[in-house]
Amino acid sequence: MPAMRTSTKTRSLVAAVAVTALLAGCNAGSSTSSDTGSQDGTGSEAEGGEDTGDDTAQAPAPGGSDETVRIGLVAEPASLDFTTTDGAAIPQLLLDNVYETLVSVDVESGEIVPALATEWEVSEDRLTYTFTLKDGVTFSDGSEFTAEDAAFSLERVSSDAWTISLKSQLDVVESVEAVDDTTLEVTLSRPSNSFLYALTTRVGAMFDTEGVDNLAEEALGTGPYTFGTWDRGTQITLERNPDYHDEAPYFAAVEMRYFDDANALNNAMLTDSIDVVSTVQAPESLAEFEGGDFQIVEGTTNGEVVLSMNQEEGNPLADADLRQAVRHAIDHQALMDTCWAGRGELIGSMAPPTDPWYEDRTGDYPFDLARAEELIAEAGAEGTELRLRIPSLPYAVSCGTVVESMLEDAGLQVTIDELEFPAAWLETVFTNKDFDMSIVAHVEPRDMANVFGSPDYYTTYGTEQVQTLFEEADTGTEEEQVAKLAEAATLISEDAAADFLFLLPNLMVADPDITGLPTNAIKESFDLGELARG
Amino acid sequence: MSEIQGAPAQGLEGQAAAGGSSGRRLNPSLLIGGGIVAVVVVLALVSYVWTPYTPMRVLAVEPYQTPNAEHWLGTDRLRRDVFTQILVGARTTLYVGFVAVGVAALVGVPLGILAAMSPGWLGQLVMRSNDVLLAFPALLLAIMFAALYGGSTRVAMIAIGIATIPAFARITRSGALGVMKTEYVVAARAAGRSPLGIAVRHVIPNVAGLIIVQASVSFAIAILAEAALAYLGLGTPTGQASWGRMLYEAQTTLRSAPHLALIPGGAIALSVLGFNLFGDGLRDWLDPKLEGR
Repeated sequence: MPAMRTSTKTRSLVAAVAVTALLAGCNAGSSTSSDTGSQDGTGSEAEGGEDTGDDTAQAPAPGGSDETVRIGLVAEPASLDFTTTDGAAIPQLLLDNVYETLVSVDVESGEIVPALATEWEVSEDRLTYTFTLKDGVTFSDGSEFTAEDAAFSLERVSSDAWTISLKSQLDVVESVEAVDDTTLEVTLSRPSNSFLYALTTRVGAMFDTEGVDNLAEEALGTGPYTFGTWDRGTQITLERNPDYHDEAPYFAAVEMRYFDDANALNNAMLTDSIDVVSTVQAPESLAEFEGGDFQIVEGTTNGEVVLSMNQEEGNPLADADLRQAVRHAIDHQALMDTCWAGRGELIGSMAPPTDPWYEDRTGDYPFDLARAEELIAEAGAEGTELRLRIPSLPYAVSCGTVVESMLEDAGLQVTIDELEFPAAWLETVFTNKDFDMSIVAHVEPRDMANVFGSPDYYTTYGTEQVQTLFEEADTGTEEEQVAKLAEAATLISEDAAADFLFLLPNLMVADPDITGLPTNAIKESFDLGELARG
Repeated sequence: MSEIQGAPAQGLEGQAAAGGSSGRRLNPSLLIGGGIVAVVVVLALVSYVWTPYTPMRVLAVEPYQTPNAEHWLGTDRLRRDVFTQILVGARTTLYVGFVAVGVAALVGVPLGILAAMSPGWLGQLVMRSNDVLLAFPALLLAIMFAALYGGSTRVAMIAIGIATIPAFARITRSGALGVMKTEYVVAARAAGRSPLGIAVRHVIPNVAGLIIVQASVSFAIAILAEAALAYLGLGTPTGQASWGRMLYEAQTTLRSAPHLALIPGGAIALSVLGFNLFGDGLRDWLDPKLEGR
């Protein structure tokens, strides 16, 4: 199942985008008074003459307008229930917008920041987390959000009610207790650094004890938006939550419009059928949007484009020399310039710059054709035939062609097989490991241990050494976690466990006056609360 | 005996077509169509001995070049030479035509003859199964095959070939029915010649003209189908040159680099036109009834 998850996400999570809701969470207290008042009316910007000057000068108009913003995306959710349905499109839509979490991630720094919990304490032995919940928070049906709801939500993840494989992220939770209305105590079975981070994802979503009967079609949360209508195959509408506990969102409604392909999405933007393109699927098309009529937002994501190399016994790439040769033979800058229009970031290992343990590892295997040829000769592998079996996804197809050319320049023989994604690719590459090399973006946040922690995974790496590092990282202190994961990333790079082509960029196109778009897309949600028209 | 001897002389237009038509006037359709077809064939043949750059190789040059002295038709998004791709793509174009038409003719022609020569339930069965297949859109069949067996040029073209079988079977049957009524066939049957012998000796030569014309038209359909499938991302896979695939890859830069779509698009349009004209021209040339029109 992690297989399915990774891959369905690859397509859709490439589109998953996150906004800076957390910043809103931090300074929420200061600005709440001004906006709750204007909910009933048409909004201060439309009516109030005195302060319009301020509104236009500062980006988000605080009171909000009665306008609807239209956002173009590429993957429509299959259902509204992310507790039983995999796929990135559901949390992208609902998390942070309809459902909120106790803690969240700052998309700029990658740090964990308060959300529904204003603060939390960790016990000396790092087994007990005491969360202080925000007071006066209500669900959109009017019922109060209390520690009891929080305990219910977290306990429910370990029950049979949740069926997605991601629920295992909370396996470490031993017990959850609502001490009083605003105090929640969570006890872990062992210290875990990933626990708090897991709470920022869908497994940390807060449900109403009375609101989980029909999750597939109804969504009841505490977020800035409530679920409106779903015109299947076309769009989903979210409406502003009039009783939101924090700064009310600017837009009265959000239409999430789903498109089948990149061109349809681009054309919708060019013809003004939408206001925002959530993720540009073909960066070479950005030229169409340059020239001032649109704004282009460029930032980073968690999507490491990995050139995996099958190193199981008996495969040509089991030879470390040959894997190193592959890494030396690829001119990463030229590759990214060619296949992804130069957008993105070179990383060198399995950690994006937004992770605390990120180190620039691009220097481990600089582009060096002579060295590559030398290594190939040492391995006695001149003219070795390698099957590059790629999923039928835009970045994989474009970059696969470039990788093929570069490896052939170094004296290897590469045949590209394009496999339909997800089904054919999953079966052939992911499950049966019938491949020499493949290209896929791993888009889940902090997924180094998932991707390189087991020799049974399709990356076929997972040495004992790296497994020990991952274990020590999770149970150790936070400093140890950072040190051990940085060490693991170094080891993965040096062993040439795979090649890291580049990090997918977060590319968005929007009307020039839309503000609050996230620069970095490193969360599971597309946070709509900060969007405004300036 | 006199009947049998006289038969070839009365051999209908089909017989004439198979035999001597050298005296016929070459019509413009045939000349233009034949010319275009010849150009495609030459491009494909040249690609085996010479291409300006290694086919499909990503070069260390600027992408999106418009036609110039270095790159006669420019370079694409992935810095590959467009002219090289057009040359190698011509092979794919011819390949798809031959596979699709080959499958259709090899199955359709014998079926058509069988249907014509077996007037009973067998002939009915053949033609009714044919009707069922005819109801199935060729592209849909190809998409279904691609889903079942994965996208590849051969799979796609076998599907297009299968979908074109009815066209060949029908045209062969109608031609063969005419032949079967001729006196020389009646005589041959009376003389005890085996059905297979009659089919090979009399029927096939007489319907060959019809089949050749149909082949040329189907060739054009196959080229278009390959382009359509490649455009849908279902036909020719990555790493192989194909005009349809070039068109598919050009769509994201339609506005900023239109020549990348116009060049393969033009090549496809021109070759489809060529094969269609060639088919029309052949028909006129082979069919004396149309002469002088």
